[in-house]
Amino acid sequence: MAQRIIVDPITRIEGHLRIEVEVANGKVSNAWSSSTLFRGLELILQGRDPRDAWLITQRACGVCTYVHGLSSVRCVDDAVHVTIPENARLIRNLLMGVQFLHDHLVHFYHLHALDWVDVVSALKADPAKASKIANQVSPAGNSGTSDFKAVQARLRKFVDSGQLGIFTNGYWGHPAYKLPPEVNLIATAHYLEALRQQARTARMHAVFGGKNPHVQSLVVGGVTCAADLNPDRISEFLYLHKETKAFVDNVYIPDLLAVAGFYKDWGAIGGTSNFLCYGEFPQQGKEPDSLFLPRGAIFKREVAKVQGVDVAKISEHVKHSWYEGDQAKNPAQGETRPAFTKMDTNDRYSWMKAPRYNGEPMEVGPLARVLVAYGKGHGPTKKAVDGVLKKLNIPVTALFSTLGRTAARAIETQIIADAMDGWIMELVENLKSGNDKTFTPYEMPEESTGVGLNDVPRGALGHWVEVKGKKIHNYQLVVPSTWNLGPRCGADKPGPVEQALIGTPIADPKRPLEILRTVHSFDPCIACGVHVIDPASNEVYKFRVS
Amino acid sequence: MAEQILVLGVGNILLRDEGVGVRVVERLTEGYRFSTNVTLLDGGTLGLRLLDPITQADRLIVVDAVQWGGEPGTLYRLQADDLNRRLTFKNSIHQLDLVETLAYADMLGCRPEALVVGIEPADISPWGLELTPKIAAALDRLVAAVLAEIEAAGGSFTALPEPLDPGPRAPTDQVPL
Repeated sequence: MAQRIIVDPITRIEGHLRIEVEVANGKVSNAWSSSTLFRGLELILQGRDPRDAWLITQRACGVCTYVHGLSSVRCVDDAVHVTIPENARLIRNLLMGVQFLHDHLVHFYHLHALDWVDVVSALKADPAKASKIANQVSPAGNSGTSDFKAVQARLRKFVDSGQLGIFTNGYWGHPAYKLPPEVNLIATAHYLEALRQQARTARMHAVFGGKNPHVQSLVVGGVTCAADLNPDRISEFLYLHKETKAFVDNVYIPDLLAVAGFYKDWGAIGGTSNFLCYGEFPQQGKEPDSLFLPRGAIFKREVAKVQGVDVAKISEHVKHSWYEGDQAKNPAQGETRPAFTKMDTNDRYSWMKAPRYNGEPMEVGPLARVLVAYGKGHGPTKKAVDGVLKKLNIPVTALFSTLGRTAARAIETQIIADAMDGWIMELVENLKSGNDKTFTPYEMPEESTGVGLNDVPRGALGHWVEVKGKKIHNYQLVVPSTWNLGPRCGADKPGPVEQALIGTPIADPKRPLEILRTVHSFDPCIACGVHVIDPASNEVYKFRVS
Repeated sequence: MAEQILVLGVGNILLRDEGVGVRVVERLTEGYRFSTNVTLLDGGTLGLRLLDPITQADRLIVVDAVQWGGEPGTLYRLQADDLNRRLTFKNSIHQLDLVETLAYADMLGCRPEALVVGIEPADISPWGLELTPKIAAALDRLVAAVLAEIEAAGGSFTALPEPLDPGPRAPTDQVPL
């Protein structure tokens, strides 16, 4: 008889996510991903000036503020048919690059690492031995015996005070934790260093964004930070970038390789079949060919056959979601008409719609981007992926997994950090040659439509706008976590997370650590996908086994 | 050196009264000039991104909507101990709540002394950029309470005259300022 496990909410994510699985013979045999918060941001935008949309959409979430701002500005750029100046393109790319660096660092260390790292076990580590291992893996500083002793002492304080803080709700001592105490200690030390580093990396947004969070420097037609394009501000940005890049090269990548080496079995767990990315970072020339990270779709894991993307093939299904009717619609004609029934995994069970491409569920995010780039022979991606596969001694097929997803995130962080060096220099060259243009004037048309396709840290993000009488008539967002975490579709095909969970081994149904590993590997962030229905709930963490 | 005071308005301005903390920071920014040891910050929905400014502060004054069961418009003053009990303190859509963010600051060895000036919201359901009339009417009292806390923490301020009407909005064919 199959056993049901419900984890609600999943912690260490933004927004509320409920995962229900059926376990038989020690493995997940079926899964349902459900968002218990209602979405409806679109409703607030109707009737407003299209120029204001980005200021509102960037408030949808406390994490992905810039990405919704940029997607929105791009879709209105499209609706008014404006081509932004070179400098505006570079600034927008640099700010987007910062978003990737910051989000991926925080995800690896603060939202995901504790699924693999047992912090309590780090107390048992021999600091001298940890120092020796750390120095073998990486040239990073702060890895002497005394450094690790200090980290242990600080950790001890937290454990003894009973105030583990962020470390509560952990499944410490779970048999699925495989790292030796010394590696746990190194990772815990880097967890703290990453905390410091992310705070500094976040400052980069303020340099060209005016402030952080919620940058203020975007505008339809370009950017407004003309006054910040001076040597002082650029070198401030460059300095913070070099520091972040050094952390990625010397700490993040070595940690990924060290931890992954103990979890190679996860190269066969948590995979999906189809992948979609819109691509990101426009270079000179026409999109999508000019995108630094290429656009494409992969079906049935056929990496060598990357297909082009046609937005007309996107549909949003509501058969298993709490919305009226069961008609699938393209986002350009999308509607948001909530109709809550009850939680029933056989019928409707989520506030998320189920997006499909050509009728298929598609995984979006770092793994999709890396696979599409790899399949298209993108030089930096090919080199980085082959390097990681060789170091870990695993085959390409191991990428279709939880391990592959987490590795892809680190790989693209490094690729983007490298590319940003070039964009900063391009900007400097433009300014040196006297080109300081940051804005292209335009006229708001009486009627128009626009689409903004972006690839943001969590995956493919699309904004659609319809303008009538120079005002927003309709607005739709299809966000990355909806692609990944959405429910079954009109054809009852499971969404990517639902598919990825099937086959996951569960050592102890009362402590389903393995479920968290796969769910967290998607970096769920669903505040924008959905919204509050029960804000008064005091439940911090609840899970039920039946 | 004077103690650094960070006034952090948090909340989601798309959820009516949920954004009251941000609205207070807007009022303070527009209506007052503060001594140099006072920083005002619109924090939006609290997350790790705010750790940098928080760890640089000695005193943290958070302004937020707090559901504590009182009549809408009731003001609250909560200190660290109250926060650690979590109670009805925010757990809506924020990546981390204040308690967790302060725990992170503690781990880095630079946790400011924190207090929350809160107000019981009337409506935090989606969607609306405006405060409800009840909370809008209570905003003066909330601003006054925050100003009193700033003064008690060692900051000073002067009120500015009413701002001039900025006039109609620039058309789209002009370079934005």
